[in-house]
Amino acid sequence: MRAGIGVTGDDDALVSWVAAWIDGMRLAPPVPLGIELRAVPALSEDEVDERAPFLQPGIEIRSGPPQGDVRVRWLAAPARARIAGGAHDAVVEVTPAALADPEPLAQSFFSVVLILLLRRAGWHHVHAALARDPRGRDWLFAGNAQSGKSTTAALLASWGWAVGCDDAAFLVRSRASIEAVAQRAPVALRPAGRALLGLAGGTAARGGRKSAFFPEDLGGTWAPRVEPRILVFPRIEGERTSAAPVPAREALAELVRWSAWVVLEPELAQEHLDLLTALARQARCYRVALAPDLFRRRDLLMELVP
Amino acid sequence: MTRRYRRHPELRLTALEGEGVALHLGTRRYYTVSESGLDLLEALATPKTLDELVAVLTARYEVTEAVATDTTREFVERGVKTGVLVVEERP
Repeated sequence: MRAGIGVTGDDDALVSWVAAWIDGMRLAPPVPLGIELRAVPALSEDEVDERAPFLQPGIEIRSGPPQGDVRVRWLAAPARARIAGGAHDAVVEVTPAALADPEPLAQSFFSVVLILLLRRAGWHHVHAALARDPRGRDWLFAGNAQSGKSTTAALLASWGWAVGCDDAAFLVRSRASIEAVAQRAPVALRPAGRALLGLAGGTAARGGRKSAFFPEDLGGTWAPRVEPRILVFPRIEGERTSAAPVPAREALAELVRWSAWVVLEPELAQEHLDLLTALARQARCYRVALAPDLFRRRDLLMELVP
Repeated sequence: MTRRYRRHPELRLTALEGEGVALHLGTRRYYTVSESGLDLLEALATPKTLDELVAVLTARYEVTEAVATDTTREFVERGVKTGVLVVEERP
């Protein structure tokens, strides 16, 4: 077993590749999970499934009754996965055509399979960056790919903050609070973000469209798990960075928006929704407009959110 | 025939500081809900007539029956339209 997520299969190279990819995330779910890989020349015809598809970029998911399972299909090339109702393991079929371009296969298809599998362990995904400021306060920045999460995460790391991740976090219930677990991955910056930070180098990511840096590369540290007490919904806007408190109900609605998977699987939806609610309850919530002055004033965020 | 309303079985509800969010797993839409809306949705875990829902509001808030009736009627009409509520007609 590897970090709580076992990978088995009939193709050693495929198993090694997926296991290494998962190992790199340093996730340790509380119950053992498994991925059974099957390298197949082509996918057999799908069983009839009349459930309405839930579409995410490049991915089609069917879940809920009457079958009770979750089925994931990659739309870019033939690959699919099935997680039976109540199961802790996924059966994944991958074709040579899907393996021809491993990075999108991992970033798109396998990431979704992992997100759905981790739900079975009580870990619920949210699109968020995680950080711990120099005062020891934990922050969660929730938003989409254009909200400024990654650039902010990189900036904070360059100021010595501990940064967990820039996009994929998992909410978990601890004894007395809600914690957020970071999926270990480098912060991926577009050229504009890299230029704003004055960074050179990095590792090519997303087909060369982005450059990736671990927090340690930028002068920060890694925060694998935080207890968010400050919740930020960022957006890139204007010339001056500002922060405005958000009422709890609006914060909860925003969290639902950035936790798309909450609508899947009726038996897990309430648990996921309850986690989001508890997070909105435990944290102070703000909308933050991110502007160029943030790059010049390293304490600005902490001043705006005292 | 008596008309009763109830929450759609695919509705999930969560409360926060007296207000809430309703999530419809079937339509995959979510709705923010006011305090009185949350009271009504919680009551609608079991089928209720319009009069029974009005009684929920008049028992909880200092409002006239006429105001509570208007509020409730508007709420159920919107709820039925969005699929958040379902209607049962029984003799």
